[in-house]
Amino acid sequence: MAKTRKRKPSRDRKRAAPAVRRGWGRAWRVLLLFGGIFLGAMVPWVVYLNHQVTSEFEGRKWDLPSRVYARALELYPGARLTLSDLEIELRLSGYRRGDALSRPGLYRKAGDTIDIYRRPFLFPDGKEDARRIEARLARGAVERLRDPVSGSELSLARLDPAEIASIYPLQKEDRTLVRIEDVPPLLVTGLQAVEDRHFKQHPGIDLRGVARAAWANLRAGRAVQGGSTLTQQLVKNFFLTSDRTLVRKFNEAIMALLLEYHYDKAEILEAYINEVFLGQQGAYAVHGFGRASLYYFDQPLERLEAPQIALLIGLVKGPSYYNPRRHPQRARQRRDQVLDAFRETGLLTAEEAQTARAAPLGVVETPRSRGSRYPAFVDLVRRQLGQVYREDDLRSEGLRIFTTLSPSEQEKAQRAVREELRGLAKRGLSPTLQGALVLAEVGTGEIRALVGDRDGDRPGFNRALHARRQIGSVIKPLVYLLALEHGEDYNLLTRIEDEPVTLRQADGSQWRPSNYDDVSHGEVTLLEALTQSYNQATVRLGLNVGINHLLSRLQQLGVDAEVEAVPSVFLGAVELTPLEVTQIYQSLAAAGYSVPLRSVIAVQTAAGDELVRYPLRMLPQPRREAISVLNYALTQVVEQGTAARLPALLDSRVTVAGKTGTTNDRRDSWFVGYTRNRVAVAWVGEDDNRPAGVTGSNAAMHVWAGLFRQLPLEAVDLRMPDGAYWLWVDRASGRLSAESCADAVQLPFVEGSEPLEKTSCLAAAEEDDKESIWRKLFGKKN
Amino acid sequence: MAKRIDTGSAPAGLITAIASAFLLAACAGWSPPPSAGAPEDEVETRVREPARQDSAGVQVFPLQNPAVKELLADADAAETAGDYGQAAVLLERALRIQPRDPELLQSMAEVQLQMKDYEQALSFAVQSYDSGPRVGEICSRNWRTIGVARERLGDHAGSAEAAGRASRCMNTRPPGL
Repeated sequence: MAKTRKRKPSRDRKRAAPAVRRGWGRAWRVLLLFGGIFLGAMVPWVVYLNHQVTSEFEGRKWDLPSRVYARALELYPGARLTLSDLEIELRLSGYRRGDALSRPGLYRKAGDTIDIYRRPFLFPDGKEDARRIEARLARGAVERLRDPVSGSELSLARLDPAEIASIYPLQKEDRTLVRIEDVPPLLVTGLQAVEDRHFKQHPGIDLRGVARAAWANLRAGRAVQGGSTLTQQLVKNFFLTSDRTLVRKFNEAIMALLLEYHYDKAEILEAYINEVFLGQQGAYAVHGFGRASLYYFDQPLERLEAPQIALLIGLVKGPSYYNPRRHPQRARQRRDQVLDAFRETGLLTAEEAQTARAAPLGVVETPRSRGSRYPAFVDLVRRQLGQVYREDDLRSEGLRIFTTLSPSEQEKAQRAVREELRGLAKRGLSPTLQGALVLAEVGTGEIRALVGDRDGDRPGFNRALHARRQIGSVIKPLVYLLALEHGEDYNLLTRIEDEPVTLRQADGSQWRPSNYDDVSHGEVTLLEALTQSYNQATVRLGLNVGINHLLSRLQQLGVDAEVEAVPSVFLGAVELTPLEVTQIYQSLAAAGYSVPLRSVIAVQTAAGDELVRYPLRMLPQPRREAISVLNYALTQVVEQGTAARLPALLDSRVTVAGKTGTTNDRRDSWFVGYTRNRVAVAWVGEDDNRPAGVTGSNAAMHVWAGLFRQLPLEAVDLRMPDGAYWLWVDRASGRLSAESCADAVQLPFVEGSEPLEKTSCLAAAEEDDKESIWRKLFGKKN
Repeated sequence: MAKRIDTGSAPAGLITAIASAFLLAACAGWSPPPSAGAPEDEVETRVREPARQDSAGVQVFPLQNPAVKELLADADAAETAGDYGQAAVLLERALRIQPRDPELLQSMAEVQLQMKDYEQALSFAVQSYDSGPRVGEICSRNWRTIGVARERLGDHAGSAEAAGRASRCMNTRPPGL
């Protein structure tokens, strides 16, 4: 076929010759003239194209999206985890349920046992190969962990983390680079067999191919075949627009020749394999076989087999027309054509081709989500990384970003915000209420979940990071903390006045704070004033400890915002974001061992080399013994104070610490609470800051409880550090007492703040003790 | 007895600290600063060995889960190989599993000492003491680490006080218990 086509033009030329014979001399001159002009123009043009080809191809660097990973789930006997949480984690990590664990990325479930074929993964602290992990779960925890292949018990194993988001290049291309040596040989040879059989021989353009295509097109009466070589296709994708003009075709041919002149076949093929367009995932174009393999089969390219390779090669012709998800019939026909070509060219034997034709398409129903799954959290990640990387780098360097997000906890947090706000609307509160929720691990300061909108998956205004609202009574614990630090003056039983107080403000006006119930309660203990959140007592106490001390303590706890030194600060006239409030309470929950909140642990290059690590760094607060005493007081807020309804909402009596917060005219509702290992801040209010009828306990506390109801609860750690003690005291009188005495309670005291006076009961008991020692020493008294 | 444990310099605003932590991480990664003429393996000679001697006979071993044990063993191996960065990463993983394990916190303190990050060494050792048994070998390691760290930070009085506390780990009833 190629031969006939080659001859045809020469016959045409012979036939045309007699027609121009008369003006031969003139025509020749014209021809020469035009030839001269053409050459004169061509040489610089080719030089220009040459420059374009070499500079762009040599400096070629695909913009690779950065991948954002969740934390890796650690499995070990005793880990608090339910079967359904493990399945959620597996699903979000792209694992699929299957009966035969034929490849990594699958798991199966039988009763309370889950058998996982874990994928290989390059963790921030090293690579781990694919492996099988079998976990038996019972009573909300991992009971047993073993390797079902060897049968040996495992003490620790982890899942490869969920890819929660990609930070894409602006041109919205998704790509996973592969090196030619890692590509299955069948893909390399098969691609040539189907798209460009003379790839190894031609110099960039294939005249035989062009002729063959022309002939086919002529016979069909329309363009049915392209004669482009792989090189030309690459040139077209790389440098040119897709319009079909002669000039473009001409440029394409010249550039293809130049490309081949400068680079070897392997380089050109590798570029092609990474460049070719193979599908569309939402707004993002899937480029290259590496990404396409993950997109269609959820497997790395090197693991693909003949039928899958054939399908991908078939897609080159028309990724949308042959889309195997939308048009499986067409895709299958096309794949089988490709398999035939493999057989024709000897790449597969007849039997192999037959087996491959019998195989199903094997395309996973839904591709693993590549979009930003948790936009609010990813927003925080970008903010943390923004201090080190430019936005451009994040979009183009293919960074591997390891974060602290716990997908199952994030899902629970989103559900809590969504459902609790819906519940509040049913109880008569505004249906437009907005919410935010931040959940962090106490000891490490790692953010496990972050919700910035009542619809957690909706990108947009991120209230957890950006809503700066008055914090109300959430600030009060710090006033009491400052008091407790003055052990010589205050302990939890010190009596203070909850009486009206009038203060002159800077503008000359008078400020008379009232209590929530509009009642002054007279003399109350520090503990009562805090647990009941009395405003007048708090302002009086605040005036004693000093506004400047409070401001500097706020700063020490990580609050950077400008705060005006006015007494209303004692009642929370300070505008902070939920994230900033979380930072303050992390310090309290961790008994003073402050840790800067983190959302990113490490960043690697696309190749897996470490770029940055954000290690655990502690910034201990001074006077931690007072913080521990305060922690106890905050458990009493839940036990008998403004959050007394929390245990019922949680359906648990586990010791939890917390504080409610309400602002003027019920505009903002806050609840901050913590267990031994989790601290969370919930905020509810209207975006435009209008009165919303909310209080700390009627709104945000519900959101908080909605989250913690779904989490394993561990009691707050109330062990006192060096410098604080538990003592038996009489609550009413504030005197030292003994366990055996009536009305004795155990309370923590900062060393030096202990009561000195004793109850008569204690005095009597000590007298008895002395006597009994006397008796022991000198025998029975008659 | 000291009224409280002071951790040396009071921390500045957290935000500043976060920023500087980022900068430090970005610039230096984990590579330890060049040796400042400290004796070879100060941790062994000034912390662990004397603590072992102190504690002959008095041992308090907190129960550890096997996952934490495995990570601790790996961290020890990394430390022995001189890869302190990796040791710290492994200890951090273990701390996520058991956040207030005194043994882990103390090991982290010792790794920080190896990396010459004395403020962090001090912080972890103090937290280990607060959440630990406050007697026995680990108490002795806590106070010896605190002593070395304070000395390196120029707090010589604090260092001497720590030495006194270390020696009392074996014979006093722990306070606050």
